[in-house]
Amino acid sequence: MDEVFKALADPTRRELLDRLFERDGQSLGALEEGLPMSRFGVMKHLRVLEEAGLVTTRKRGREKLHFLNPVPIRLIHDRWVGKYAQPWASALSELKQDLEKSDEQEDQR
Amino acid sequence: MTDEQAYAVVGGRGTMTVFEIYIKTTPERLWEAITSEEMRARYSFGAGTKSEWTEGSEYKSAVPGVIDIASGKNLEVDPPRRLVQSFDALWSEDVKRYGTTRVTWEIVPVGTSCQLRVTHDQLSDDANSELFGGWPMILSGLKTLLETGEDLDTPGSLRYSGVGG
Repeated sequence: MDEVFKALADPTRRELLDRLFERDGQSLGALEEGLPMSRFGVMKHLRVLEEAGLVTTRKRGREKLHFLNPVPIRLIHDRWVGKYAQPWASALSELKQDLEKSDEQEDQR
Repeated sequence: MTDEQAYAVVGGRGTMTVFEIYIKTTPERLWEAITSEEMRARYSFGAGTKSEWTEGSEYKSAVPGVIDIASGKNLEVDPPRRLVQSFDALWSEDVKRYGTTRVTWEIVPVGTSCQLRVTHDQLSDDANSELFGGWPMILSGLKTLLETGEDLDTPGSLRYSGVGG
């Protein structure tokens, strides 16, 4: 978990994750476009993200594609956010049921 | 896993998403947790998955009488390492529109743990993110179940089981 926080504590690495969130499965060439740093610098940041498990790669032919892996962030969510979200989440789901019920009643009219 | 298999998964039509998690367990226990109807229900919104788990057999994920989640065919079954399935989402009229996609489960032992990789691909470019958006929650619940024997009860995790929110 230390590695995840360390990886997220850098604006360039967050920008790289944003780009993958926008479009998953990008090559190094596509990811470095418009970033004010060398190809080597981007590679270094991608390696930190990979070591934290936030980015995973697959090869396609000679290209290496990068994918956002959101699972480590989900684990952080489940550790600390879960119990606070529970009351309003269940309240929302009850609200949804109520609304759907009244929709059904309206449909029957 | 060989590079050839990696190429095979990346090939083909559509876009793909990849989800990875490390779980402290054996490949055999992990395989069991993926293929046991009862265990599956404990980390998949309450939905169990029923199948004979032979190549070419069908599977169905559902909370019987409440909601159908998905169905499809087991295209490759190689316990306890690799499972490739076709995936038809069934939980709403909207997700049904996107047709058949593919889910590949790969288990790689790493020390005393396993790396589990779920690749959901052959998705259309405009695919509803609901189609693959549930995987982080499912994998997190699977990790909790195998490592602690307990159910993960964060919001939504057991949505249809009558237990969670």
